[in-house]
Amino acid sequence: MFTTPRLVAIALCAALNFAIGNVVYLVKLPIYLDSIGTILCALLIFPDRLAAICCAFMAGVIGIILTGLLLNPFLPWFVFTVLAIVLVSALLTGRATDTFRARPLEPLRFFGKVILYGVITGIASAIVSAPVVVYLFGGVTGSGSAFVVAFFLKAGQQLLNSALLAGLTTEPVDKTLQVLLAALLYRATPREFISMLRLPQPSPT
Amino acid sequence: MTPNGAILFGVLLIAATGLARDLTSLAIVLAVLLAFALASRRNLTSALLWSLGIVAPLAAFMALVWIGIVGRAPHEIAAGVEGSRAAATAYVALVCARLFLIAFAIQALFLRFSDWTSLAFVRALTAPALAKKALVLTLSLIETILHAIDRARTALIVAGLITRRFSAQNLRNGWVLVQTVWLTVIAIAIGRTRDKWPAEGTLARLDHALAATAPRFAHVDALWSGAALICLIIVLGLR
Amino acid sequence: MGELISGPNFSGRSAALAVRLNALAPGNAFFIGPYAEAALSGLSNTVSDEIAVYRSPASARAFAPLDFAALAARKPPTLSGGEQVLLALHCFATSDFTVIGIDTALEQLDPGNREDALGFLAGNDIAAVLVDNRLEQLPGWSVCEQQGTSAFACDLAAATRSLVPVNAPTIAIENLSFRYAAGPEIFQDASLALTPGRAYRLSGPNGAGKTTLFKLLAGVLAPRTGRITLDGAPYAPWRTGNRIFAFATQNPDHQWCGATLGEDLARRRRALERHPEIAVPDETALTALATHLGAGSVDQHLYELPLTARKRLSWLWPLSGALPWIMLDEPTIGQDAMTRTALAEAIAHLTACGHGVLFITHDDAFAATIAHGTLQLANAEITASH
Repeated sequence: MFTTPRLVAIALCAALNFAIGNVVYLVKLPIYLDSIGTILCALLIFPDRLAAICCAFMAGVIGIILTGLLLNPFLPWFVFTVLAIVLVSALLTGRATDTFRARPLEPLRFFGKVILYGVITGIASAIVSAPVVVYLFGGVTGSGSAFVVAFFLKAGQQLLNSALLAGLTTEPVDKTLQVLLAALLYRATPREFISMLRLPQPSPT
Repeated sequence: MTPNGAILFGVLLIAATGLARDLTSLAIVLAVLLAFALASRRNLTSALLWSLGIVAPLAAFMALVWIGIVGRAPHEIAAGVEGSRAAATAYVALVCARLFLIAFAIQALFLRFSDWTSLAFVRALTAPALAKKALVLTLSLIETILHAIDRARTALIVAGLITRRFSAQNLRNGWVLVQTVWLTVIAIAIGRTRDKWPAEGTLARLDHALAATAPRFAHVDALWSGAALICLIIVLGLR
Repeated sequence: MGELISGPNFSGRSAALAVRLNALAPGNAFFIGPYAEAALSGLSNTVSDEIAVYRSPASARAFAPLDFAALAARKPPTLSGGEQVLLALHCFATSDFTVIGIDTALEQLDPGNREDALGFLAGNDIAAVLVDNRLEQLPGWSVCEQQGTSAFACDLAAATRSLVPVNAPTIAIENLSFRYAAGPEIFQDASLALTPGRAYRLSGPNGAGKTTLFKLLAGVLAPRTGRITLDGAPYAPWRTGNRIFAFATQNPDHQWCGATLGEDLARRRRALERHPEIAVPDETALTALATHLGAGSVDQHLYELPLTARKRLSWLWPLSGALPWIMLDEPTIGQDAMTRTALAEAIAHLTACGHGVLFITHDDAFAATIAHGTLQLANAEITASH
């Protein structure tokens, strides 16, 4: 399962997860994108779903460990969020790979699938992340969603519910953007590299 | 101290941090951590400042939300009582202290091996060969990508697609920078995977270079891991 | 005993090199590919780790043109192209490999290091197989000649036929000072005047600031002090953006702005359209230019083309005449003799049309075929000679 090209893809996507924060900083964008490599890894190895899950999960875990060591020490706690993103990407988002690579681009189908799978990824991510956010950060992660949490708390909601509801309002947007970027990168990847990631098929004889 | 010992120490200490229910327990964790950081004779100030820098914005947000807006602690919300800002403050202090200790623990451990090369560190780890190989590849590719970012930024500035400072243009064309970096790195990866590595058997050489030559654990690992274990037991006892 | 695989571009030399290495030592031949990134293992974060990956205690060979001990903690991608090739050769020297294949990488070395490398490779215990566009033969080396094909045929004369005269501005650099954060002075009160309709060769050792000067002129970097003027008017590209220089990088993959050539050109055209004073080349002209440079279609994925073809296409934007000044960084790497000659003629045509050209090259023979002035960069100064 772990051929040399797949090992390279894992490392590349993990490194992309880590490094993309630097890109965001250089162009001074007010967002942080930390799972593009994970989603992309699953797309690259699809349709081998099991390999896509294993490789994308490895990419995601290595990415959060390195980011945790060097940039953001709280990210490794979200390993189950990584798993949730991997499962959605390998089992669902991967079904759109033909649409993502179609030339010329079919805007309606392309963006429709990006939004659909982005929202699903966001919902899964929010549900799995909520307990970690509650226990580790007291429900508040330092982004704009903190005020959404405050609103729900003020309205009498329990902490977990508030964090979950806040996550469900923000994560789908964030993850849709990440699925969009992963799809565009997948679309731009040379055919040769994607072919390398396929296992050689046994001959009919 | 070996990397394996450092990881064991770190895991035990972070587990103790996560399980601590009050500031007294966290103070015990802090004591063990400070002792470790001082004994490693590294730059404690930078680790402390970095950890404070990571936690401070989160602390500000938490204070604003819990003390400023909500005005009571989660357990008071759960119990349906009116609550108080004092309880909210205690809650925020506990969560922030926990975050600070996690950040400081990771920084202190990281600084302990700051003069090791990546290859030497990964070599000393007890881990499956595949995981070690993937880790080495990733660390190397991070450098490649960071360098590719610099080159892609140059290309896009020269072509007039992005500017040196924040601009609406950067918002529109930020994606082009990401795409350019990805393609550059993919081209490098293809070249190595298709040409260099098969010709040399480079990954087999890496297996050899990653084969551990030193003992997995050292005596000092037992000392610090023991201290972390005792700390964890005390924290559990205080719950 | 060394083997030289010669022939024009796209004659299958790289494939022949791979076949030969596989025959000599399957899976056990050191390989240095074209461009710096293909020289290194891709497995190390420091120079010392890179050496450690390959080192064999049994090796008695030595090739250390650089002080690698002083560079031990450096990250390999931060070394210059030539330094990375030298590092790769040092790794080979200290390894247990006896067979080495080099695909045009020696063209990135300055003349002194190139001679030393060739001398080292001629050693008795080394079987070297070499592809190099600047070598027809080597004493004591066998030569295997590959036959040319018509693939990616490039017609630089046709590519420059449609150039029209331009009024490129005179560039004056006054009291320029620059250094990278925590680094030594690259330029200190440097002054220079560049006249359009001329070619200038930038010379100087590694780290002298040749590429840094390109980046300052294109606005990627901002000087600490000093100013640049165009025909006397202030010009600050680090604030206003670049609208003067078309830049072809040493590694062509460091300049693309898209996955396909069409995407790249469309983005450049849109960026130029923000400057009403610039005549933006139309799509048809650029497509025709791409065809002359060997591209079958502008919708072709750039990274699915051979590297040599990408290198030629990297000249497209400079040769389009869109911008008055052109910067070429090692334009002849990987290009055969016929293409180098045609490129020299293309540069002459550009200057005849009034464009200014700045170029960096280690290829003295190529430089000698172009009428040019020299800009010598050393000791934080720039000295012009004609």
